[in-house]
Amino acid sequence: MMQEKLRCTKEPYIEDVGPRKIKSIRFSTFSGEDIRKLAEVQVWNNRIYDLNLKPIENGLLDPRMGAPNRQTECATCHGNFTDCPGHFGYLKLILPVFNVGYFNSILNILKCICKGCGRILLDETLRKTYLKKMRNPKADILQKNALMKIIRDKCKPCRCLRCGYANGVVKKARSGLYFIQDFSKTADPSVEEFRSALSHTKDKTSFQVSHVLSAVAVLSLFRKMLDEDCELLNLYDRPEKLIVTHIAVPPVSIRPSVIVDSGRSSNEDNITSILKNIINTNSILREDLEGAAPPFKCLDCWTHLQIQVVEYINSEAPCIPDSKHRGLVQRLKGKQGRFRGNLSGKRVEFTGRTVISPDPNLKITEVAIPILMARVLTYPERVSNYNIEKLRQLVRNGPSKYPGANFVLRPDGSKVHLKYVDKRDIANELKYGYVVERHLEDGDIVLFNRQPSLHRMSIMCHRARIMPWRTLRFNESVCNPYNADFDGDEMNLHVPQTEEARTEALMLMGVQNNLCTPKNGEILVASTQDFLTSSFLVTRKDTFYDRASFSLMCSYIGDAMDPIDLPTPALIKPIELWTGKQLFSVLIRPNANTRVFLNLIVKEKIYSKSETMCPSDGYVYFRNSELMCGQLGKATLGNGNKDGLFSVLLRDYNPHAAASCMNRLAKLSARWIGNHGFSIGIDDVQPGENLNQQKRKKINEGYRECHELISSYSKGQLTLQSGCNAAQTLELKITGVLNQIRSTAGNVCMNELHWRNSPLIMSQCGSKGSPINISQMVACVGQQSVGGRRAPNGFIDRTLPHFPISSKTPAAKGFVANSFYTGLTPTEFFFHTMGGREGLVDTAVKTAETGYMSRRLMKGLEDLSIYYDQTVRTANGSIVQFVYGDDGMDPAKMEGKDGIPLNLDQLFMKVMATCPLREQDTLSPAEILHTLDDRLSKYDTTPEGGCSAAFKKMLSDFLHKHAAAFSNIRRALQLDENHVQKKDSSVLESVAANISGISAKQLQVFLETCIFRYHSKKIEAGAAIGAIGAQSIGEPGTQMTLKTFHFAGVASMNVTLGVPRIKEIINAAKNISTPIITATLVSDRDVISARMVKSSLEKTVLGEVAKAIKIVLKSSQPYIAVKLDMERIEALHIRISSQSVQQAILNHPKIKLKPEHIRVLGNNNLKIYPPEADRSKLQFELHSLKAVLPKVIVKGIATVERAVINNTNGVYNLLVEGTNLLAVIGTPGINGSKTKSNHVIEVQQTLGIEAARQCIINEIQYTMRNHGMSIDARHMMLLADLMTYRGEVLGITRFGISKMKDSVLMLASFEKTAEHLFNASYNGRNDQIEGVSECIIMGIPMQLGTGILKVRQRVEQLPELTYRPDPIIC
Amino acid sequence: MVELLFEDIFTLTRLDPDGKKFDKVTRIEARSEQFDMSMQLDVNTEVYPLHVGDKFTMVLAPTLSLDGTPDSGYYTQGQRKSLADKFEYVMHGKLYKISEESSGPNVKVELYASFGGLLMMLKGDPSNATNFELDQRLFLLMRKV
Repeated sequence: MMQEKLRCTKEPYIEDVGPRKIKSIRFSTFSGEDIRKLAEVQVWNNRIYDLNLKPIENGLLDPRMGAPNRQTECATCHGNFTDCPGHFGYLKLILPVFNVGYFNSILNILKCICKGCGRILLDETLRKTYLKKMRNPKADILQKNALMKIIRDKCKPCRCLRCGYANGVVKKARSGLYFIQDFSKTADPSVEEFRSALSHTKDKTSFQVSHVLSAVAVLSLFRKMLDEDCELLNLYDRPEKLIVTHIAVPPVSIRPSVIVDSGRSSNEDNITSILKNIINTNSILREDLEGAAPPFKCLDCWTHLQIQVVEYINSEAPCIPDSKHRGLVQRLKGKQGRFRGNLSGKRVEFTGRTVISPDPNLKITEVAIPILMARVLTYPERVSNYNIEKLRQLVRNGPSKYPGANFVLRPDGSKVHLKYVDKRDIANELKYGYVVERHLEDGDIVLFNRQPSLHRMSIMCHRARIMPWRTLRFNESVCNPYNADFDGDEMNLHVPQTEEARTEALMLMGVQNNLCTPKNGEILVASTQDFLTSSFLVTRKDTFYDRASFSLMCSYIGDAMDPIDLPTPALIKPIELWTGKQLFSVLIRPNANTRVFLNLIVKEKIYSKSETMCPSDGYVYFRNSELMCGQLGKATLGNGNKDGLFSVLLRDYNPHAAASCMNRLAKLSARWIGNHGFSIGIDDVQPGENLNQQKRKKINEGYRECHELISSYSKGQLTLQSGCNAAQTLELKITGVLNQIRSTAGNVCMNELHWRNSPLIMSQCGSKGSPINISQMVACVGQQSVGGRRAPNGFIDRTLPHFPISSKTPAAKGFVANSFYTGLTPTEFFFHTMGGREGLVDTAVKTAETGYMSRRLMKGLEDLSIYYDQTVRTANGSIVQFVYGDDGMDPAKMEGKDGIPLNLDQLFMKVMATCPLREQDTLSPAEILHTLDDRLSKYDTTPEGGCSAAFKKMLSDFLHKHAAAFSNIRRALQLDENHVQKKDSSVLESVAANISGISAKQLQVFLETCIFRYHSKKIEAGAAIGAIGAQSIGEPGTQMTLKTFHFAGVASMNVTLGVPRIKEIINAAKNISTPIITATLVSDRDVISARMVKSSLEKTVLGEVAKAIKIVLKSSQPYIAVKLDMERIEALHIRISSQSVQQAILNHPKIKLKPEHIRVLGNNNLKIYPPEADRSKLQFELHSLKAVLPKVIVKGIATVERAVINNTNGVYNLLVEGTNLLAVIGTPGINGSKTKSNHVIEVQQTLGIEAARQCIINEIQYTMRNHGMSIDARHMMLLADLMTYRGEVLGITRFGISKMKDSVLMLASFEKTAEHLFNASYNGRNDQIEGVSECIIMGIPMQLGTGILKVRQRVEQLPELTYRPDPIIC
Repeated sequence: MVELLFEDIFTLTRLDPDGKKFDKVTRIEARSEQFDMSMQLDVNTEVYPLHVGDKFTMVLAPTLSLDGTPDSGYYTQGQRKSLADKFEYVMHGKLYKISEESSGPNVKVELYASFGGLLMMLKGDPSNATNFELDQRLFLLMRKV
C-alpha cells in the first residue's frame, strides 16, 4: 500500500496526466495584465549590478528571472543553470506605445472605425452581411484576409452614423511612429470657415487640418470597440492588446551577461542594453509627468520611449536610423536566426568531419574511419548475455586504447566516465541492462554526408571500418552520389545512437538501397574513372593471359577468400591462352554457386556497325554471365545509364548482386591498373606530321571560306537566312565554318592517334575527357565564345588593338587556331581568358541562384506524400494528385526509357537465355497471342488489380511484334506460318525454332516476370514524394550551364534556357524574357499561306505601308493626307484597305479622333482632319498627329515582335515571338487547337488551368532536355499539380507558398519571419503541427515516410458517437 | 567416335575487312569449298599467323574427347589424347546467336559463336545448321592444308 503523501494546503493540486504531445499552437496577443500575471518580478531599476557585481533586485538581471551562470541558482525555482529555463519579468510603461509589428494592422483598424465612438464605419445591413461572411466556418484564412481587405476599402471616412463624429482620413505620420487624422478632404463646413478666416491673415503659413492620434488616444478608442466589430476586422482578440503597455522582460538565460575584465565590468546582451535604455527613459518620463515638466518635453520623452520600444522589437525598422543592437525580430529572422538556424536545423553530437580519400579495397557500403575518430564517436550498447564478455574487455581498455569504451551507464541512470575510475572494477560490475558507450567498431552503422546535400543520396548509410591514419575513406564508386572528389574535400559522419535509428538508417539510407536515383531511375553508384579505363583495357580483343597471369588476375577479384572456377581457355592450341573477356566473365560469376545469369546488350561509344560483329568491338553482349563480345566502357559500367551492367544486375537480381559485383570490379581494376600502369605524357599530345598537314589545310580552307563570306557581306551579296539581317547571317555562317574546322580537326586527330594513346583511351571508354578535349590539346583549341557569340568588341569596333578596325576575320574575333601543345599567341591567349572568365563568373552566380531555387522548391513541396489510398496529399490532407504520376509507379524503379516501368526487350532476352528452349516445342504465333490474352484477363492485370492500361498495351504490343517477327521468319524459311510442327520433324523447323521460337514455358515465365515486376514497382505509401520531386528538379539545376540555345531550325530565334528559364517557370513569372507561340497552320505544307498568316500576325505600322503622310495646309481646312503604297501591301500579302486603316487610327488609344474626322478617298487615300480647336493650336495638332500616325498599327498584333516561318521536313509552322495567345489563335489560317505558348500565365488566362499545368510540365521538360538532363515526368507533374491545384497558377515564391500552406511556423521559417508571426497573432492563427517544417521545429516525428504509421490501441468499448455539438461545459 | 558438328576446307579470302584494329587479333574472311559457307573469324595471329590464300580445314566439335563424352564445361588439364592433337589451332567457345538472312533469293542462316571474345560468324545454307543449338559449347579446330 502506498503511503499517502502529506500535502501542504498551499501547494496547488496538479493532476498527473502522463506524457503529453503538442497538438497545436495558437498565436495570440498578451495584454498588459497577462504579462504582469506571467512575470515573477517587476523590473524597474535601471542599474544591473551593485558594487560587488551582484545583480540588483528589480534590475534587469534579477536572480528571480533565472540563473545567470553556472555558479548561482534561480531564486524562483531554485534550479541550476541547466534545469531552470528562466522566468519572465515585466516592465510597466508609464505611457502606452505602439508595437511596430502591429503598426499596419492598427492603421487598418483605425481606418475602419469611427474615431469618435469606436464603432465600425459601416451601415447596419452591410455590417451584418459582412459579419455573416466572416463567421462562415468554411472560410479559410486567405478568404478571411481578402474579406477584411474588402471591408477596409468599404469603410470610407465619413460622418459616423451612430455618433455623428466627422471622421478624417487616417494616415501614417511622415516621420515618427504615430497616426494623423487628416480632415482636409472631408467636407466639413467648419473647415471651410476656418480656412476663409485664416486666409485674411498675412501669414502665409500653410495650415493642416489634421489631428494626431497618439497611442493613448488609440488605446482608449480600441477599448471602446465592440467585440462584434473586432470579429468583422478578423481580429482574434481585443485590439487594445496590440498596443504596448507592459513589456515582458525575457529570462536572463536568453540574454546572458558576461563578466569581463577580471570581474570589474560586464558585457551585456543587446536585449539587456535596450531594455536598460527603456527603463531609463521610462523613469525620466515618469518624473517629467509627475514633476509637471513642460508638455513638449514630455512629448519628446514619450517619442523617445516609443523609438526605444521599436528598437527592442525590431531594430531594423525604418524609423530607427542605424541601430547597433539586435532586436527580438533580428533574433528570429534570417539564415542564422532562431527559426532557420536553431529550430529547423539543430546541432548534434556524435559527428565527425575530416578530409576524404579513396580506397578501392573497401566495399561500396563501407567507410573507413580513422581510429582517432572512432575513439570519440561511441555507440551505447546494452549489455546482454551475448556481448557481456566483449563489453567487459572494452571497458577494461577504457577511453584511450582503441577497441574500448568511454562511459558506462547504470540502470539507475548514473553515468561513469571510464577515464576517472578503476576500469577493472567497472568491468566486473557490468551486468545485463547496463549500457556501455563503446568505441565505434567494424560493421557499425554510420551516416555519411557531403555538402551541398542536394539530393537524398548526399547522405547515405555506410558500415564503419576502423582504420589507421587520418582520413575518411570510401570506394570511388560512391563518389557520384556525393559528388565528391579527393582534391581536399571534407565529409561529415554521424553515428545513430539507437537500434531503431540504425535499422531505419540501414534500410532507408543504406548505399545498397540507394544505388538508383529517384530523379530518373538511372544508376548512380557505379564505376568511375580508373575502373572504366582498366575494364576497357582488360576486355580488349587482343588481351591474352597465360595460365599464371590469368590465375593472378582471378585472385585480384576477391580477397583470396572465395572459390573461383577457372574457365576453359579460349585458345587451347598452340598454347593455352585466356582472354580478358573471360576474366570479366569470371568477375561476374566467379563460381558455379553464384547463381547470377546476366543478360545484357549495350552499345558502347565506339560501336560502329553490324551488331556483335562490330569491327571495333563496341557491341557489348553478355549471355548468361559470359561476355560474348564488346569492349566495356562507360555505357556498360558507368553511371547515368538504365540498361548498364549494374542496373541489370540490380533489377534482375538484387542490390547485393550489383554491389558485390561493383566491389569485385573495384578491386580487380585498381590492382590491375596498378600493375599495368596508366599515365599521360607530352608524347601523348604531340601531333604527327600528317595531322599537322591536314590541320593546316583545314584551317586554311576555313579561313578562305570566311574571307569569302566577309567580302560578300561587305559587298552586300550575302543571301539572308530567315529572320536574320546581314550581320547576323554573316556571324552564323562564320561560326558554322569555324566550328566545322575544329570538329574536322578533332576527327582527324582521333583517327590519327595510336590506340595506346592514354587520352584517347580515356575518352573512348568514357572515364574522362571528350574528343573535343583531346583535339584542343593536340590539334586546335577552336572558337572562344563570350555570351554565346564570338569575342565582343572591347575597343572601338574591334576586339583588341592588334587588329584593324571592324575586322571580322576568325583570328580577330577569338578563333584560336593553335593547340594547347603548340601554345597560344598573345591575342589567342587573351580571347581564351575571356571565355574562361565567363565560365567562372557563371558558376559563381549559378550556385547562389540554384541554391535559393532548391530551397524554395523544397519548402513548397516538402509535405507532399503518398497516402494509403495512393493519393498525393499535403500535410493537412488536401489532395494534390489522385494517383501519383498518373500510374502510381516509383520513379526510382523505372527500367525503361522515359519513365516506362519495364524494359521488355531486355527482359525478354533474359528469359529466353535463362530458360532455354531445349526439347520443348515452340508455340505458333496464334498460340502466343492466345496465351497473352488469357493472362491479361486475370485479376492482377486489371485496373482494379492495380495495372495501368498503358502497361497492358505495352506488353501486348511487344508480344504482337514478336509474333509477327516469328511468322516472318517462318515465311522466309518457307514453313507454314501458323502451324508449328514438332521441332525435330524437319531441318528448317528446328532452325526456325532456334532463331526465334518461344515455348509455352518461356512465354509463361516472361509474362509472370513482367507482371510480378510491374507490381513490385508501385510506390509505397508514405513516400515523401514531394521532397524527392523538389530534389530531382533542384539538383540538376546546379549542373546547368547558363546559356541560351538556338531554337530548333530557326537560327536567329533564341529562347531563354537554363537556370533563368527554370526560375521563370517555377516563379510563375508574369513577364518572361522570351515568350514564343508555336502556331500550327491550317495548310501546313504551303509556304505562300504561311507567309500570309505571318504578315497578318506581325504588326505593320502605317509608316511602313504608306507612300506618303503629308500635311496639307489649305485655307479652308488643313488636313493630313495619307497615301497607301498598294504595291508594297500586295507584295507583303497584307490585307489592308483604307477602311481598315481608318478603323486602326480610330482605335489607337493616343489619337482621339471621331469617324467624321477621317475621310476615306478611294482605295488608297485618306484625309485626316484635326479636331476642332482654336487656330493657334492647329499647327501643333497637325504636327503631333503627323508624328503619331506612322506608328499606328494597321495590321497585326501589337504584342507580337515578329513571326518566323519554320520548316521541318516540308511542314511549315510559325514561331511567333511575343504574347497574346488569344489573338494568335484567333487569326485566320492558324490551327488554334494545336497552337502552343511557352508562357504559363498566358496559357492559364487563355486556355485554363489544366492547359497551364501541361504547359508547366512541357516547359520544364523541354528546358531540361535541352541541357541533356532526363528527369522523370512524374516529378514535373507533381510540381505542376502543386502549382495549379488551387485553381490558379501559384509560383514557388513567398507569395505562392503562403497561399498554398496555412501553417504559420512553416511560413515563418521560410521568409518574412516577423511579418508572418505578427499577422498570425493578430488573426489568432492556430497551427496544427502537421507539416514537415512545423514538426521539425517542435521536435515531433513528422507524418511522412515511416511516420505515416501509428500504433493504436484497441479500446474495449467504442465511445458513443453523438451528432450534436459538444456541450460547453463538460 | 566423336560426332563433328561441321567440317570443311576454307580458303582465306581477306584479312581485316574493316581495317586493322587490334595488334594480336586479325579478323579473317574465308569461304568453304564443300558447303559454300562464308565465315568471318577472329584469329590470334600472333600465335597462329595466316595469310590471304591460305587453305585450312576447320572443324567444329562439341567436345575434344575422342570417345564423344560430352564436355563438362570445366577445363581439365593434362596431356590427354584428344581431337586437338591432329590440329594446329584450337579454340573453345559458345554459340550465342542463330539468325537468318533473307536478302538473296535463298535464305541463309548465320551462326554466331564467341571464343572468349574472338568471334565467328558462319553463314550458309540452313541445312548445315541443323546440328547447332543455342548456348552450345563449341571447339573450333583448324589445320592448314
